[in-house]
Amino acid sequence: MNKKSLIECERHRIQKLIDFRLPTVFKWWGAILVVIAFVLFFVRNQFPDSAEMIRGIGRKVFIIGLLCISLSRDKEEDEMTIALRAQSYAIAFIIGVLYALIMPYVEFGVSNVVHSGGEAYKDLGDFQLLSFMFLIQLGFYYTLKRFR
Amino acid sequence: MKNTIKVERAILSLTQDDLAKKIGVSRQTINSIEANRYVPSTVLALKLSEVFNKPVNDFFKLTVED
Repeated sequence: MNKKSLIECERHRIQKLIDFRLPTVFKWWGAILVVIAFVLFFVRNQFPDSAEMIRGIGRKVFIIGLLCISLSRDKEEDEMTIALRAQSYAIAFIIGVLYALIMPYVEFGVSNVVHSGGEAYKDLGDFQLLSFMFLIQLGFYYTLKRFR
Repeated sequence: MKNTIKVERAILSLTQDDLAKKIGVSRQTINSIEANRYVPSTVLALKLSEVFNKPVNDFFKLTVED
């Protein structure tokens, strides 16, 4: 394989990755997973021995559900919806970075104001950041679509 | 960029939905292009050109801001 065809092959592979979308039905699967995650969050107190494990599973199910919704194809998918989706990912990424930088200080400040002494400073967890970014992406995507 | 797609569509007596179906996009996309909220890709512009049977330059014009 010569250099040119190697580059072409690589480009083709990257394009396939960029164009990857799940079928529309995954939107529903995603919604079901999000509902299951909420159910797990609510029932975990009924099982104190395995509450932490249920919480962990619930968080993973929640993120997978949001990922399915985010990656699934629209009923009417065209170049404009693809452009709007790309915009929403860019916005979510930027807001996510700002959130990750600012939020720990806000939480720290608020907890110090509410309880004297407050909590120790702690960074955001992956679940908090990922769910925030997904929610921002989905929110912006559907808002942009509504106002197109 | 401004366009006269609405006029071209009227000449052919096409609704936004008809035109959308002909070029394989949603009606909202046609609406956004007509309202100059969205600039279509070259592929879409050429599909429109095929439907209107006119060169792209006839219904897409650059403005001073461009």
